[in-house]
Amino acid sequence: MRILLAAGFVVFNVAIYLFMAMLYKRYRLPVLLPALTATFTVVVLLLGFNISYDTYMIGGEWINRLLGPAVVSLAYPLYKQRHVLRENLPAVLGGTVTGLLVGMLSGLLMAASLGFSKIYVLSILPKSITTAVAIQISDNLGGDSSLTSVFVMIAGFTGAIGGPYIIKLFRIRSEAGIGIGLGTASHALGTAKALEYGEQSVSMSSVAMTVCAIVGSIIGPLVAWIMYH
Amino acid sequence: MKMIRVIAEVGILYVFYLAGDALQKLLHLPVPGSIVGLLLLFALLLLKIVPVKLIENGSSFILAYLPMFFIPATAGIMNHLDIFSGRGLLLIAVLIISSVLTMVVTAHSSQWITGLGSRQAGARQSLPADSMGEKRKGA
Repeated sequence: MRILLAAGFVVFNVAIYLFMAMLYKRYRLPVLLPALTATFTVVVLLLGFNISYDTYMIGGEWINRLLGPAVVSLAYPLYKQRHVLRENLPAVLGGTVTGLLVGMLSGLLMAASLGFSKIYVLSILPKSITTAVAIQISDNLGGDSSLTSVFVMIAGFTGAIGGPYIIKLFRIRSEAGIGIGLGTASHALGTAKALEYGEQSVSMSSVAMTVCAIVGSIIGPLVAWIMYH
Repeated sequence: MKMIRVIAEVGILYVFYLAGDALQKLLHLPVPGSIVGLLLLFALLLLKIVPVKLIENGSSFILAYLPMFFIPATAGIMNHLDIFSGRGLLLIAVLIISSVLTMVVTAHSSQWITGLGSRQAGARQSLPADSMGEKRKGA
């Protein structure tokens, strides 16, 4: 019975995702991103049919288990772009490290000074890192992975929608700067936006996104430790 | 046939994840096991110990459907719907401000490092240098 229920929820999850992905392919609007619409639909249906999150997770757990290998698979695009990484290592590392430090500290300090509890503050910490990695960092630090996942989406939309204004307003001029900035602050959503600024921006952004995940998982615990010790 | 390959390659990625996780626990690393697995695979690819053919179909498959894998984790937000109202909106403002800061600081640090200070017309200068990079790659 439990297995049937689990399989049912997996099929439900996959079907909703595939439908939403099809919809996005047709209209290409940022608000139709499957990560957003599919999650929204799942939540609405669960609430509507009065199914608890724990019940849904009997099947959800199966999909969750693939998050580990999903993170590992990021080694492949990074390997394909190893030349981009090698030639721009100082710029990519310098940019992501300073950006991550400023991003993590500013988020923590603002949230903490507004009186939000530790679980919210820690869930904010990995917001600029790609979801699969951010969830695990948040879990390890004592944050809440679903809060983090939503925060990561908000950080992504900030870059994907606000990116062009930020680039103009703050005079970001080089393609490398645009790419590394978008990839570090807004992960995959930023990288999709980088497409509009040329080939170099995209490759820089996707390299920065992966480097940001690696660097962020190292300095994240450090920043949290400084904050709460 | 392609499907079997994909499944087998996802299995290989899973083994890297398990190895990374074991290594993380063994050495008490503060980094998630999956990141250790990523670094392990990246290193073995660079050293040509693992041929890229062994994981390219599986990786491409997972990455193409990536958003699907975090729907269950994200759906947990149904127990925290309060963040979309009242004081929760402050948190959203914090996220947006902090993300803008992240992007600006990152971009300007990178530009400063590549020697394209914000006063120079960076875009124009960076292009020829990079097309050279492309050529070197091909050679």
